[in-house]
Amino acid sequence: MASILQRQKSSILDRPLSKGKAEVNLSTFALLFSEMVQYCQSRVYTVPELQNKLTEMGHHVGVRMLDILFLRERTFKREVKLLNMLLFIKTNLWKTLFGKEADKLEHANDDERTYYIIEKEPLLNKFISVPKDKSSLNCASFMAGIIEAVLNGCNFPAKVTTHWHKGTTFMIKFDESVIARDKTVDGR
Amino acid sequence: MSRQTVRSGDPRKVSAELFTLTYGALVSQLVKDYENVDEVNKQLDKLGYNMGIRLIEDFLARSNVGRCHDLRETADVIAKVGFKMFLGIVPTVSNWSPSGDEFSLLLDNNPLTDFVELPEGQSNLEYSSILCGVLRGALEMVQMEVNVWFVQDQLKGDNTTEIRVKFIRRLEDAVPVGED
Amino acid sequence: MTVFNLYIFDRNGTCLYYVEWNRKKHSGIASQEEEFKLMYGMIFSIKSFVNRISPSDLKDGFSSFKTSRYKCNFYETPSGLKFILNTDLNVGNIRDVLHQLYSNIYVEYVVKNPLCELGQPIKSDLFKTKLDEYVRNLPIFATKTN
Repeated sequence: MASILQRQKSSILDRPLSKGKAEVNLSTFALLFSEMVQYCQSRVYTVPELQNKLTEMGHHVGVRMLDILFLRERTFKREVKLLNMLLFIKTNLWKTLFGKEADKLEHANDDERTYYIIEKEPLLNKFISVPKDKSSLNCASFMAGIIEAVLNGCNFPAKVTTHWHKGTTFMIKFDESVIARDKTVDGR
Repeated sequence: MSRQTVRSGDPRKVSAELFTLTYGALVSQLVKDYENVDEVNKQLDKLGYNMGIRLIEDFLARSNVGRCHDLRETADVIAKVGFKMFLGIVPTVSNWSPSGDEFSLLLDNNPLTDFVELPEGQSNLEYSSILCGVLRGALEMVQMEVNVWFVQDQLKGDNTTEIRVKFIRRLEDAVPVGED
Repeated sequence: MTVFNLYIFDRNGTCLYYVEWNRKKHSGIASQEEEFKLMYGMIFSIKSFVNRISPSDLKDGFSSFKTSRYKCNFYETPSGLKFILNTDLNVGNIRDVLHQLYSNIYVEYVVKNPLCELGQPIKSDLFKTKLDEYVRNLPIFATKTN
């Protein structure tokens, strides 16, 4: 036991942060994600519960992804403006994760708190065919969790939900406080 | 606004960070769901097994590897084709047992454990034991029953990560009902 | 040329999928399950006997047989999945076609789909559609030639 304790662990902090260019096979990821979905499914009863669980797991990734992006892209200053923040997600976050920008970013006509990020064919859904009895299930909820964690981490509290619309639509509903703050920032 | 990280844009590849963090999310979920570390290890191995029985199909579909003739060939294919295809690394095959039914895979770096440090009190967590399950599941589908376990793990302060594979027996195809 | 029907079995003999295109006459066997069982049994026997009587080690083993009316094409993966495609007699060696069916359709839409349980009959609509599309676009599918 003593010898184990004495062994010098090389700390994770001693290693350089990766440049983010490393890639793994899509199949490996798809199979891992597939196991995650099945695992979650075995622990819950309903589709909304399943989606919540996936969203929760997405948070884990989002929080860390945010740190990595900030650390690596040092010139990047914290976004204070809502629109820039959304563009950061649509562009930087998406490119880092999926190698492409998200297809579309839209603002709801009838609600200033609501924005949509639309992805016609999300990578996460590429191999999933949803059975008829679970037609509302959208496993891209995992991505919704990532977005939500990134927004919350940047102090833009919001709720992100997933919908089957024009492919997959991530509906981002910001806190009142975010909209109010953005207006004062705009006013300057 | 910021420097872009440029990836190859190969549609058959995905960011290693997304993969590593997603695996991390799974492990931390398991740690939350099961209080017992042994149970977490068991679950990881089981999820790995489920991955393995699927992964082997993808492997067979995309590599032109036919049936292996002996365990040495199998070991080579696992390291040079399998690990390379799915994780982008090539472990070293070594430490053969005298009877030739056991070997080790030595990993210099393990993509599953980038960004990972075992928290205090989790030193029994076999963080990467999913790999053991994957190997067991994949080999079972090509009619080989094996035992797989971690001998050394860099996460625990060892110099290298060593996975041990022991061949148990060859499995037979299912005989249809009513045939001899 | 034309394609009649397709059976996919796993290594336990479970029929994972069955579909027919230009099959005009049925075997008359009471239940479909019974037909699957007989098909699997026949293939299993041919396969093992063909290997046994071979003068030297067979590489790919049994790949097809012909009758005066149809050709039964067989492809097996090292993981024991069996693809059986019945076609008319003008169809040549279609090992590649069946391998493609395995790698581009089965692996992509069943193996990687978390909602498809392996070893159980395939219910995925995505798989069904892609498979149908693939087979209908094969040159060997053309029904109005000759």
